Amino acid sequence: MKICLLSYRGNPYCGGQGVYLMYVARELVKMGHEVHAIVGPPYPFEMEGVTLHRISNHNYFNITKNYIKPHKPFATLQPLNFYEFVASKLGIFPEIETFSFRAFLKLKELVKEHRFDIIHDNQCLGYGFLLIKLLGIPFVSTLHHPLTVDRSTWFEYPSDFSLRMKRVLYYPLIMQKIVTNRMDHIITVSHDAKREIHEAFGTPLNKQSVVYNGLDSSIFHPIPGVKKIKNSVIFVGNVEDRKKGVSYILRAISLTRNRVHLNIVDGGAPNRRFVPHWIDKFGINDRITFMGKVTNEKLVELYNRSEIALSPSLYEGFGFPAAEAMACELPVIASTAGALPEVVGKHMETAMVVPPRDPQAIADAIDFLVENPAKREEIGKAARKRVLAAFTWENAAKEMVKVYEEVIRAYR
Amino acid sequence: MPRAKIYGFIALLVSTALAGLFFYHSFYGPIAGGIFSSLLADNAYYAVAVPLGFLVLIILGTGFWIGWTILTIKVAPPMPEIVEKKDYAKPKAFLLCLVTLALLALFAYGVYLKSYWALALPAAVFTIVVLGMVFWVGLAIITTRATLPADKK
Repeated sequence: MKICLLSYRGNPYCGGQGVYLMYVARELVKMGHEVHAIVGPPYPFEMEGVTLHRISNHNYFNITKNYIKPHKPFATLQPLNFYEFVASKLGIFPEIETFSFRAFLKLKELVKEHRFDIIHDNQCLGYGFLLIKLLGIPFVSTLHHPLTVDRSTWFEYPSDFSLRMKRVLYYPLIMQKIVTNRMDHIITVSHDAKREIHEAFGTPLNKQSVVYNGLDSSIFHPIPGVKKIKNSVIFVGNVEDRKKGVSYILRAISLTRNRVHLNIVDGGAPNRRFVPHWIDKFGINDRITFMGKVTNEKLVELYNRSEIALSPSLYEGFGFPAAEAMACELPVIASTAGALPEVVGKHMETAMVVPPRDPQAIADAIDFLVENPAKREEIGKAARKRVLAAFTWENAAKEMVKVYEEVIRAYR
Repeated sequence: MPRAKIYGFIALLVSTALAGLFFYHSFYGPIAGGIFSSLLADNAYYAVAVPLGFLVLIILGTGFWIGWTILTIKVAPPMPEIVEKKDYAKPKAFLLCLVTLALLALFAYGVYLKSYWALALPAAVFTIVVLGMVFWVGLAIITTRATLPADKK
């Protein structure tokens, strides 16, 4: 099969989109398919067997100074770039929309040479995709979760009127809804995400297929001989992402009977606005360490040195950090929100499951695990077993190919 | 013929017809009939008012939608421990809805009266925003180093 993947951000070290692209592309190549990938910046590194087609953007949303390139001073005045510039200044996030139009222009060139059997987007869903549909090639998209979730969890936190206005403008919900319902098929990563997409966008359930994400167990594994640090707890995730429920974690740390230390791996989040303030407020400065941006090797080491992992999110379409910790034989305290129960499994067997938004329940779960090392070990071992059995990229790619075949058959 | 192509043809026909109507009534009509006598003739006025009206509707509609979303979104209340200030977002959102509706009504009334200002004010805002952005880019080009830094060897 000749497959064209689209990803508006391609680098696996800069976000989930790149990780998804890298593993899906790699497994599809292993299965003998011809894979092309149209990617936006930050670009992925070269992948064996994958033909990369890089398309640019100016990233005016994040780059507020020195955005004029000396060798191309008038580039900002070109129509798409100018739109990107104006939209960014008005607080609209234009990256995915402009990527979709640029991807269309690139695809229009590519289809002269390549006869793709299917195009597979990764959660971009910009208006340009309506043009791609006119190319007459089956077109599917992976939607990890609808952005309505991000918006509503963001609104749960106290903020002022102007910030809320910016947030309403920021999330391209209308575009995502319109484009989602015009795709040939939607692949999603959990049954909960499927239901959520149906509720948010009205996308029929039979137009969606669940293909669980995989996990690279060759990277995430227990390291023999690594000594655990007593009472150490780890949280991996962007602390400014309101879905992660960080305020509840910090409150929980202040409520535990046992004095635990929390290591936060947030990729060196550049905009930590609220979290330091909350840490001060709860008086837990000496119990929190920000680990910044770490390599995968360091992350695995941190998992292995920790006794407990926290993932009490308000919503997760899948929940990579929980699965990663489980693969490292770490007991995870997860919430019942979103797809987390699908990923972590049963309470007291493969994880500790608590209600979302309940700091006391998180604190109690931490205390229970701190005080019961045997149970910690038992849950950790069962957790790894579960992850290895249920979530592999090889399975994900096989399931994906089945979806491709069905979509292509229906298209003809 | 595929449905997409039919839509394409419809889009072409409608846009060409509307463009023709716009240019005829905005420019040819007034000039042919004497520009001063018929500048505010119905057709000439509405040829400008209708497209501008769409623009006004989009902008004010967006403002209303933002206010409405903040006003009506249903979410779990924040953890009491992290609430520090009284939340005035909802009254402000209500005010935003009122203001956008009032402006829309004012615009519609102005168009009904065929007021020059009903067209000139939104056109001025739109023009200032677009030209302001171009000015901003121009300023950035002027103040950006024109060449790449010399290679230090």
